[in-house]
Amino acid sequence: MKPIYMDYAATTPVRSEVRDAMLPMLEERFGNPSSTHRWGREARAILEHARARLAAVLGVSPIEIIFTRGGTEADNLALLGRARTSPDAPVVCSAIEHKAILATARAAEAGGTELHVLPVDRSGTVDHSTLPDILRREPSVVSVMWANNEVGAIQPVLEIATQCADAGVAFHTDAVQALGKIRIRLDELPVSLLSISAHKIGGPKGVGALFIRRGTEISPMIFGGGHERGLRAGTEDVAGAVGFATAIELAEREREQTVVRLGALRDRLEAALRERVPDLVVNAESAERLPTILNVTVPGADSEALLLTLDLQGIAVSSGSACSSGAVEPSHVLTSMGISPDMAGPSLRFSLGHETTDDEISHVISVFPQIVERLREMSAR
Amino acid sequence: MSKRTVLVAMSGGVDSSVAAALLVEQGHQVIGATMKTFCYSEVEGPSQTCCGLEGIMDARRVADRLGIPHYVYDVERDFTRDVIDDFVGEYAAGRTPNPCVRCNGNTKFRDLLKRGALLGCDAIATGHYARMATDETGAPILLRGVDQNKDQAYFLWGLPPELLPQLMFPLGALTKPEVRERARALGLSTAEKPESQEICFVPTGNYVDVLESRLGPEHAALSPGKLVSASGEAVGEHEGYARYTVGQRKGIGGGHGQRLYVLGTRPAMQEVVVGTWEDLHRSEILVDELNWLGPQPAIGSEVQVQIRHRASAAEAEIAANDNGSIKLELREPQRAVAPGQSAVLFRGDVVLGGGRIAA
Repeated sequence: MKPIYMDYAATTPVRSEVRDAMLPMLEERFGNPSSTHRWGREARAILEHARARLAAVLGVSPIEIIFTRGGTEADNLALLGRARTSPDAPVVCSAIEHKAILATARAAEAGGTELHVLPVDRSGTVDHSTLPDILRREPSVVSVMWANNEVGAIQPVLEIATQCADAGVAFHTDAVQALGKIRIRLDELPVSLLSISAHKIGGPKGVGALFIRRGTEISPMIFGGGHERGLRAGTEDVAGAVGFATAIELAEREREQTVVRLGALRDRLEAALRERVPDLVVNAESAERLPTILNVTVPGADSEALLLTLDLQGIAVSSGSACSSGAVEPSHVLTSMGISPDMAGPSLRFSLGHETTDDEISHVISVFPQIVERLREMSAR
Repeated sequence: MSKRTVLVAMSGGVDSSVAAALLVEQGHQVIGATMKTFCYSEVEGPSQTCCGLEGIMDARRVADRLGIPHYVYDVERDFTRDVIDDFVGEYAAGRTPNPCVRCNGNTKFRDLLKRGALLGCDAIATGHYARMATDETGAPILLRGVDQNKDQAYFLWGLPPELLPQLMFPLGALTKPEVRERARALGLSTAEKPESQEICFVPTGNYVDVLESRLGPEHAALSPGKLVSASGEAVGEHEGYARYTVGQRKGIGGGHGQRLYVLGTRPAMQEVVVGTWEDLHRSEILVDELNWLGPQPAIGSEVQVQIRHRASAAEAEIAANDNGSIKLELREPQRAVAPGQSAVLFRGDVVLGGGRIAA
């Protein structure tokens, strides 16, 4: 059996269409968009065309799109960029944010900014009942992710965005995982800021974008030659921008089909694993979830050993989040959901993507229960 | 040699890198593991030993080069409890602990074996300079490494004996220069890495820093007290008994009429006992916290005892054995017998077992 990659929420391979679209920019069309000469003008035109393509998919104006060097940078710019505009205002985020937001919020807090963390319920959905009170404190930004990267729970962004808009407070959403799986039309949703990343949808790594709705004031984080409307200095990654535009168009074009196909595969995997491992717990089960993510807890089986054993058998999944050393840490998402550490510990995430096949799902279904059984026997010894 | 599935501990140093490479060369199925023993972000300054984050990166690079899987295990909590807390507690109790012995005996090998078993491994390996062999009955025995300068058998006496059948020490028959040569020949990035002599959780190289941060600078072990002679006569002041090790001359000050050495400490009185070069020599050692890797030697047995890393072994007789401790009578008096350090018993190259020097 060929190795099976089932960790698409971590990253995805670059689609061949994306690669083909990028190559000319690495070779003959290599110009710097800031240059006045023909190479520069050509690169500028390509960059702006990519921006427009991205904007069109999201239903926004090209001027509202800032290219960044990834989702984390977009999140940093959104949160700190807003916090800097009103240093005395609090910032708000949810307990299950990606570390790109959580750690940034903690950094702001360490710098003296007041931080409110919205709790989540057991299903993995953000509880925004306290938001009206918090909004009266006029926070500089409220950040709640669109869909959670670990358990796949989709968050009530429309309600939260509307609450924030009504209060005149900037609302940011990290849509890195939602992109390509959920319809994102910003002409229909009152968000002020939205982060996306190319490499989760078949684009290149190191390319992201921040949507900044016109009229939303933001301070830059990286200073230099005034690129990206002065909000993100540094010579633009034209190839990356073209790759991102191509990937997002592909993802959007295929979205409905992808959701149906991968959703069916995920459901089959989920049902089969439940049947064969009867006490297996599906995390965020009662939430509306991304069709591509299955997060399970296997009581009595060491998740780290499970992860490594699967890896040794050629199956790539993930567990919790990896720290800088690569060691597995307990998931803050699951513990925030009120799941006890002994159940949050042994959790695994399967995430499906464009290249996932029916055979791969069947293979995982056939080997997973045996591995679980063996590890449980050994732990019980 | 039969082919085994081996979990090899890789610190990122040259020794464990070559150990892993040799196992791969011998045709075993090899999985690399690095133990993350403490939180690097809490350590100030650049990490200097091979247990640091840099070590993890080096280990990963070597594993990649060898084409083997490599995993990082976070053992910080157990390591802190079993090794660092013990280390601090021993100093507070006026002893000179040996954290590497403690780690090998209580944490590292047991943990590796458990984790290895979960991955389907039937052996574990490290880059220690020691050898495994079998005696005439076929029972596994632990031997010194052939490189006398590098031999690390001293640190391994505390291993649970039931682990022995599953241990592999691929470097045991090599010398350090040979290991470096192999590393170069294999093109390993760690070939020229300097030796790490420090304790992995003491990145500054000064153990007192760890004591100060964990006990607080006001702790009795770190506070001034009296320097006394063996008869109890005050002869000066000291800076905190945990800062002194048996045999030490530094920090006692001059003007005593003769050179004085630390003979021991009396934590209850916050005293450091000093005496002459002659006083520093002992011909009896009491050893507790015993661990035997094979049959326990009988009273009256002749053994060799090593009381410090790199010290040569001294002829001794097991004079008494009761309540989990033994008394050793030394043929020749030994200098600076430090309570807390390991006394390791050998017969030739074979490690019989050992214990902690109690007095």
